[in-house]
Amino acid sequence: METSTMTYVPSADDLEVITREVWMSFLDGDPAGLVAGGSALGEDRVTGCIQLSGMYVGAIMLELAPAAAQAAAAALFGMAPGDVGPVEVADAVGEITNMVGGNVKSMLPGPSTLSLPAVVYGQLTLPGVQMVRRAELTWRGQPLAVSLWRQGG
Amino acid sequence: MRILVVDDSRAMRMIIERTLVLAGYDSHEIVHAGDAAEAARLMAEAPPDLILCDWNMPGTSGLDFLAAIRAAGWSVPFGFVTSEASPAMREKALAAGALFLIAKPFTPHDFQEALDPVLA
Repeated sequence: METSTMTYVPSADDLEVITREVWMSFLDGDPAGLVAGGSALGEDRVTGCIQLSGMYVGAIMLELAPAAAQAAAAALFGMAPGDVGPVEVADAVGEITNMVGGNVKSMLPGPSTLSLPAVVYGQLTLPGVQMVRRAELTWRGQPLAVSLWRQGG
Repeated sequence: MRILVVDDSRAMRMIIERTLVLAGYDSHEIVHAGDAAEAARLMAEAPPDLILCDWNMPGTSGLDFLAAIRAAGWSVPFGFVTSEASPAMREKALAAGALFLIAKPFTPHDFQEALDPVLA
């Protein structure tokens, strides 16, 4: 049986730094665009999730206020926010989650593999996993959060 | 030079294009295809100098697409950009004629390492 003694878990600051790097590379070149803290997410949100299996079993979630998700898709595709539909939002949030999740995975014990990203409108519940870290951020006045989850506890 | 990016996710094609620009390949023409059929059509219109292709795609997979274009006589440099890159996948990719396999999450530096020998 495998036993884990000293498992490093990325901090909330690590999640924030990773998210900021992804945002600056692909969505918003302004270093001051994404800021820590801000208002809490409401129940109405878009959630991207990518699951990890292997040495680390858990998930990484990116939750965005609907306006932030729409703005992210618009920024990625070079579209006006009003022209962005649910298909574009799901595609963009899924791949942004993939990039954030892949970077978080690189800080976790391995080897482990990532699932394909899933995107839902609303909150996502994953049975048997518990949140271990969460970074809350604000982009263009809209809240978003990145969280790391682990199976068991 | 013309770089053809093949991925069923438009978001990932945009992320790859942004990474190409960040890596300094902004002077190249970057064209997008959402599947192997669209890629083949674009190749017939104007031959690319490099193809960056997803591994998992609905319909024709990236590996099958590579096999098909090699069977048709295309020798265009070809690389995969994938979510996972196991040693077995790398072995299959290289055996099929790919030059490299870039795993997500990638950086502009990863692209430079893989692409400079091809595009220099």
